[in-house]
Amino acid sequence: MAFLSILMKNLLKGPSTEPLPTADSPTPAAYRGKVTFDETACVGCKMCEHVCPGGAIRFEERPEGLRFMIWHNTCVNCGLCSHYCLTKAIKLSNDWHLSHLQADKYRLTDQALVAYAACSGCGTKMLPTADALMRLAYKKVSPRSEHLRHLCPDCRRSASVSGDIQ
Amino acid sequence: MNFLSRMSKKSPWLYRINAGSCNGCDVELATTACIPRYDVERLGCQYCGSPKHADIVLVTGPLTARVKDKVLRVYEEIPDPKVTVAIGVCPISGGVFRESYSIVGPIDRYLPVDVNVPGCPPRPQAIIEGIAKAIEIWAGRI
Repeated sequence: MAFLSILMKNLLKGPSTEPLPTADSPTPAAYRGKVTFDETACVGCKMCEHVCPGGAIRFEERPEGLRFMIWHNTCVNCGLCSHYCLTKAIKLSNDWHLSHLQADKYRLTDQALVAYAACSGCGTKMLPTADALMRLAYKKVSPRSEHLRHLCPDCRRSASVSGDIQ
Repeated sequence: MNFLSRMSKKSPWLYRINAGSCNGCDVELATTACIPRYDVERLGCQYCGSPKHADIVLVTGPLTARVKDKVLRVYEEIPDPKVTVAIGVCPISGGVFRESYSIVGPIDRYLPVDVNVPGCPPRPQAIIEGIAKAIEIWAGRI
């Protein structure tokens, strides 16, 4: 008579079929889906481009900054980019709604620009040091490192050697 | 004929072509059909064994050089009108096998693709979403 209890349980539980495609289905938070990119946290190390097995990530030097591009149609959602990203600028969201018509094949991209900042000393263009990197490198950001942060490598070197900042 | 085409709008039959897939997407396709949680047959679809009965073609795999002619031959056997769906990143772009010596894909070099479902593999929900798009196209074509 055990089947009766199973029958009752199944009757009360309702259908186990997910209501797709008319309604959304629950997705685990840890599901590896579409890649997201945060240009304010990127330090431009390009490690994600190096480790990407599908070659989905490209960086391009532009006069106005470092351009990041990802083509989701060749991304295998392996998560290597996010694993090797020091500042976690690149992450995998749990968004899997990626199916599209053939006409949009080459439009399934995301692009972002890590804009160059001007050195506060000499004004040359340089990649800005992200807040995320400062938090990672220093337990507490001192005024000195906060000042050095806005200098280009050359100015930083001369400022460190001359010791004019306390 | 009118009655038949009206009916066949509601029951497009699916056919799978494995163009050198690693089997990951094929497992997901089997899951989509066989597990009640996803159940693609709700949409009126059914997998069929013969290309001559098919309406919607699901292609997996990056189209290897060895399997190319066979895939094209089977594809030719599917009667028109048909809707082609690329399942997984491999048929769409080549994925991790892109520009390999043994890969002649992506498949849109040889076949007219209608819907792409990227993922490695795409989860069954994503496949159902793609098939739903294909059914819309299919209803317009017949």
